[in-house]
Amino acid sequence: MKTAKQLGTANQWILLLCLSLVLFPWQPVFAQAPIKIGASLSLTGSYAALGQNQHRGYQLCTKHANEKGGVLGRKVEFVLYDDQSLPATGVRLYERLITQDKVDAIMGPYSSAITEAVANVNERYKMPMVAPMASTTAIFRKGRKFIFMVQSAAEVYLEGLIDMAAKRGLKSVAIINEDTLFPKATVQGTIDLAKKKGLQVVFVEGYPKGNTDFSAILTKVRAASPDVFGAATYFDDAVAITRQMKELNVNPKMYGVTVGGDLPKFYELLGKNAEFVYGATQWEPELPYPGAKEFTESYKKEFSGADLSYHSAGGYAGCQILVEAIKRARSLDGEKIRAEIAKLDTTTVYGGFKVDEGGFQISHKMVMFQWQNGKKVIVWPDELAGGKARFPTPQWSQR
Amino acid sequence: MTFVSLSRTKKTLLAGLVIGLILLAIYPMAATGYGIRFMLQLFMWVALAQSWNLISGLTGYVSFGHVAFFGTGAYAAAILIATHGWHWAPASSMGGIAAVVLALIIGYPCLRLKGPYFAIAMLGLNEVMRVLVSYFEGLTGGGLGLSLPTLYASVQIYYAAGLAAIAASVAAHLIITSRFGLRLMTIREDEVAAEAMGVNTARYKLYAFLISAFIPGVVGGLHARDQGYIEPISVFPLLTTITMIVMALFGGKGTVWGPVLGAVGLFCFQELVWARFLYLHQILFGAIIVFVVLLMPRGILGLVQQRYHLSRSL
Repeated sequence: MKTAKQLGTANQWILLLCLSLVLFPWQPVFAQAPIKIGASLSLTGSYAALGQNQHRGYQLCTKHANEKGGVLGRKVEFVLYDDQSLPATGVRLYERLITQDKVDAIMGPYSSAITEAVANVNERYKMPMVAPMASTTAIFRKGRKFIFMVQSAAEVYLEGLIDMAAKRGLKSVAIINEDTLFPKATVQGTIDLAKKKGLQVVFVEGYPKGNTDFSAILTKVRAASPDVFGAATYFDDAVAITRQMKELNVNPKMYGVTVGGDLPKFYELLGKNAEFVYGATQWEPELPYPGAKEFTESYKKEFSGADLSYHSAGGYAGCQILVEAIKRARSLDGEKIRAEIAKLDTTTVYGGFKVDEGGFQISHKMVMFQWQNGKKVIVWPDELAGGKARFPTPQWSQR
Repeated sequence: MTFVSLSRTKKTLLAGLVIGLILLAIYPMAATGYGIRFMLQLFMWVALAQSWNLISGLTGYVSFGHVAFFGTGAYAAAILIATHGWHWAPASSMGGIAAVVLALIIGYPCLRLKGPYFAIAMLGLNEVMRVLVSYFEGLTGGGLGLSLPTLYASVQIYYAAGLAAIAASVAAHLIITSRFGLRLMTIREDEVAAEAMGVNTARYKLYAFLISAFIPGVVGGLHARDQGYIEPISVFPLLTTITMIVMALFGGKGTVWGPVLGAVGLFCFQELVWARFLYLHQILFGAIIVFVVLLMPRGILGLVQQRYHLSRSL
């Protein structure tokens, strides 16, 4: 009995040995442990939809990197958490990623506010962080060395609108905004840009977050009768303002919104009233950046039916930048990767990438589109434009 | 016989408590940055749940806007640190005082009324505070938020938050075992009867309210320093009030150890779950809350007390 049992055990060992011999040669490429990249995103809470888009960008980037043989001969793997759209949770999770999970590198969270809070953590551990979804200038003006911006700053969101208006000889501009971090920064930047281009700012006013009745503020805009009207918005307010402009017969020669105007739902809700509206966007799938077409195709294949927005492309591009920097540094040392990111001057699927000494993005360009026959036609800047702007916007009564 | 064994259990409990506190005191020497950050936030939750317990658990006047004191404290401290160069410790204390002043303004009229008015007023207070903070841009930065100079002080803030949690729990113990506490609980059980017995209900409710506002004010100040950046949405979220309430209910409201138990239990549970279930953790969390409320409405401690006939002052 005993010997039979021992024999059985021995047989098992031999079997295991054979199995491992058979299996081992199949994975020679990634012999070492994978490179772990840590991130926390807003997968639930108020930023959930956008955070999830960014998540898909990270996932696709990992997949593509591994298909090309990984990084430094190792597989890439994400360690991902959900910060519930709360900065305090984000801070705790990045601390966990760096000190407990001991990840090799990190990627940024969603939103400027959470990035601003988290930036102190990675700075402390000297771990570079590419932050694809932070666009508030202040974050990059505090003397930090390890944080890098990917997209254009809030201040230049309406640059296209102002530039086009100036070229067409328009003289006055009115701006309204939701009173939160991001839209406020847009307004400040727009005022500066307008002054530089010789436009007169005739009206500026904010409204609280969640506002639905814009009749008072729009009546004031109508009284100021500006040539150009810009609204620094999110989504719901952009829809409501456009609708109420028609009701109150506010007729600027150009009217543009910032965030929200680019969503297909904007046109679905407003229908023909969305025609002629200008919108600002960081990225559109049809922009002729290198790799953008392939990115869009594989995104649609990988996540069929899922939302594709600039958040996905930004996440993908940010992760590509990190991967490229690790490859160039030939090391996982934070200081070395940091130096490589700071030196990079390249174009990703998301557009240009180059940062100044504070990590502030100076190469990426915003684009301006106009809704024409239910389609977003890119009208600014000229070198990326896919069509001509329909100018001026006709009166509501003549549409 | 029973007396001796009871005091023996008490002694064991007390010894356990002292050992626990010593372990917590030396913890930062061995911990990772994450460990410190986790415990620091846990302490804050203990203090917040305990502070809600002081007014709502004891008097039965439910505060739906306790985070208003947290946010007020955070802004008061952040302004003192950022524009007046104060050290964070006195600045956080001033945050507590600012919260007490706010509590006096809102509590003096509202706590004279009986019934649900207080709950509704508190719900509104939080919204009003958030809008006010956005409005006074010169002072608070408005929607741009307030950014504090970079400072790495998580270990010091760990101790400060720990002290806040201990202070809140000691205050709860002192109040629950005192005549003052008895008066508060009488108000909860039957306010008219309390008045008939000569308890000045409006005054005692206000006292309890002021004490319960001071703690979140201080914790708010510590939070502002720890995060380094605050904005109106991040320090006045309704979710924080709800979490405080759930923690206190989960552990057992109106008891000393209930909020502590609830905060530790829920916070640890959340941390364990959301690392593993990215998209599902909130459903799991909600399911647990529903389960607890349905099966043990008096909380964990309430259930234990009932079953083993333990003292109320636990």
